[in-house]
Amino acid sequence: MSMTSTQQRSLFFFGIGLAVPSALLTWWMSSANMELANASSTSAAHDVELASVAEEGYCSAKLKQVLRRVAGACGLLEGARGCRPGDAKTVAALSGADFNMLFQPLSDRAGIIQFDAEQVELDAEAQALVEERWSAKRGASFFFVVARASADGNAAYNQTLSQQRAEGVLTHLETKFQDPEIRSEVGLLWLGEEYAQLDEKFCEWRRSRSDACTQKDINRSAFVAWIDCAI
Amino acid sequence: MDEPNTDTFSGFHARRSSSFQLDTPRPWLFAAAAASLLGTILAGISTHDFVRHLDRQTHTIHCSVIPGAGAQFGESGCRTVMMSPYSALFRESLWGGLPIGLLALAVFAYLTYRAVDFAVKDAPRRVETTFLLAGASLPVLMSLIYGYIAASEIGAICNTCVGIYVASAGVFGCALVAHTRTPPSPSLAASTRTHLQWFAEGVVYVLVLVVMYMALAPKSPLPEKGCGVLVKHDDAAGVMVPLASASAPGATRAIAVLDPLCPSCRALEARLEASGLTKRLSLKGALFPLDSQCNWMVKDALHPGACAVSEAILCEGDRGQNVLAWAFQEQTRLLEAARGGDGDRAVRDAILSAFPSVKGCLGSPKVRARLNKSLRWAVANAIPVLTPQLFVGDTRVCDEDTDLGLEYTVGAMIERAARPRE
Repeated sequence: MSMTSTQQRSLFFFGIGLAVPSALLTWWMSSANMELANASSTSAAHDVELASVAEEGYCSAKLKQVLRRVAGACGLLEGARGCRPGDAKTVAALSGADFNMLFQPLSDRAGIIQFDAEQVELDAEAQALVEERWSAKRGASFFFVVARASADGNAAYNQTLSQQRAEGVLTHLETKFQDPEIRSEVGLLWLGEEYAQLDEKFCEWRRSRSDACTQKDINRSAFVAWIDCAI
Repeated sequence: MDEPNTDTFSGFHARRSSSFQLDTPRPWLFAAAAASLLGTILAGISTHDFVRHLDRQTHTIHCSVIPGAGAQFGESGCRTVMMSPYSALFRESLWGGLPIGLLALAVFAYLTYRAVDFAVKDAPRRVETTFLLAGASLPVLMSLIYGYIAASEIGAICNTCVGIYVASAGVFGCALVAHTRTPPSPSLAASTRTHLQWFAEGVVYVLVLVVMYMALAPKSPLPEKGCGVLVKHDDAAGVMVPLASASAPGATRAIAVLDPLCPSCRALEARLEASGLTKRLSLKGALFPLDSQCNWMVKDALHPGACAVSEAILCEGDRGQNVLAWAFQEQTRLLEAARGGDGDRAVRDAILSAFPSVKGCLGSPKVRARLNKSLRWAVANAIPVLTPQLFVGDTRVCDEDTDLGLEYTVGAMIERAARPRE
């Protein structure tokens, strides 16, 4: 059965109408397959950083070594808790002045919680500063509380006093934030009057009180700061 | 009775001048063919844009009523429409699905062929214009349906689609005029048989392109394997935000890592919602604002104000989803406000204005500490510093599977999670 010229023409149009989109589709799909093969090894996730704790520029190897020793001795790494002055001095293997120098890069991160003479309670301003410093955790791993006492009174009394001040800060954090992880993040050091007394330059740091500040005032305190080092 | 050379091209050319008046059907059939050709080209562009994305990469999308113009890389109405579940069929059984644009391409190509074939005939008949009119009603009907979906469900207008709607109307209009200019056919029985034959030709057009597409579509290498796993999925600090409003019992646990001011997060959330997958997922959001004010992992604030919005979400507790929905809706305005002179403060003011209940909580140490917990969750799992990310069970959906391949990949992951393990 032969086709009429009308049928031939219709068939021609039918073929052209179907062949053009089919050819284009074949071309596009081949390109997509080739592109997929080329790109299969490069996922965007491979090029981006992974979420991690902070590691600031001041975290030198020396500083991290000292921080790790102190953190370990203070129970942050092994589960024990609390450094006595002698321990801190031993593990840090530093003079008091050098010990304080360790914390100099933390001037923007630290707060100095001040206490009345022979007192261990945190007043409202002290509580607010502790909370504010704690909430500025960002990528830090450990929160150091370094409590001291002024040189008034005997050394044993001052050691107990500074311990109670450090523990007062921890108790307030636990009460306020009720975070079960607090005890694994907060390192307490109580230095009494024996080691690493602060000089009056620290009066210029962020304090819980804005009144006049002497060396005795600045040492009736707890120094609090997050440490932005992966130790 | 036909004149000599009626069925030849020469015959058509010989009488073209005498029958090319507007009161005859021929010029309208040619106009219908031209409109169909325009629809074919635009549907082809739409299909091409879709097919290019089968390589799982990001490409420009043509978003213009003028063929070939308006290629855009970033967010656009065309991208939103293309990524929506309405742009393709069978999305859960084929990566990306079968694009609607391909079906439109087949139909318009067929209508072009039919219109040209009828137009070059010596004397177009009523049986032909009737069929063309019926055929042209299909793209018009689909245009009405898809125009409604775009406006009401997707909330975005695709210029290329608008061009297709116009072409559909053009084909229909021209076919209608051609039909009115054609004398009635004498035999209805004969026309029914002819119509069925022509309809079968149209089906062939559609089937050939569909089968080719299915056969040539890139194969997906086990998408349910994902791109990484969570090592610590639990939310001990209670900082995740419930996202699925009504997930079915036994739904698979899923976590979306979100930044409330991230446009891609908003788009992913919309795609998940539109896909219906949220009903099969117990979906929670882990806040991960890409804002250096609270997130130390980013050097600059990619989305300034995102920390403030995240705090507000946490402040609202179980109603945090409302704040997130508001932030997604107001995203552009909030980002502009944050980049203005008042910075973060402008965003905080906007939050307090919309949600007065967060006053006293927003910016407080307690909520900042909670937001830090959310960021710590990301650290504990060492996830990439980017948003959005989606985890189904503990498996991370690869970034390239979060748009066109979302339904296929997540569907496979849900089935895998539901499968009993040895």
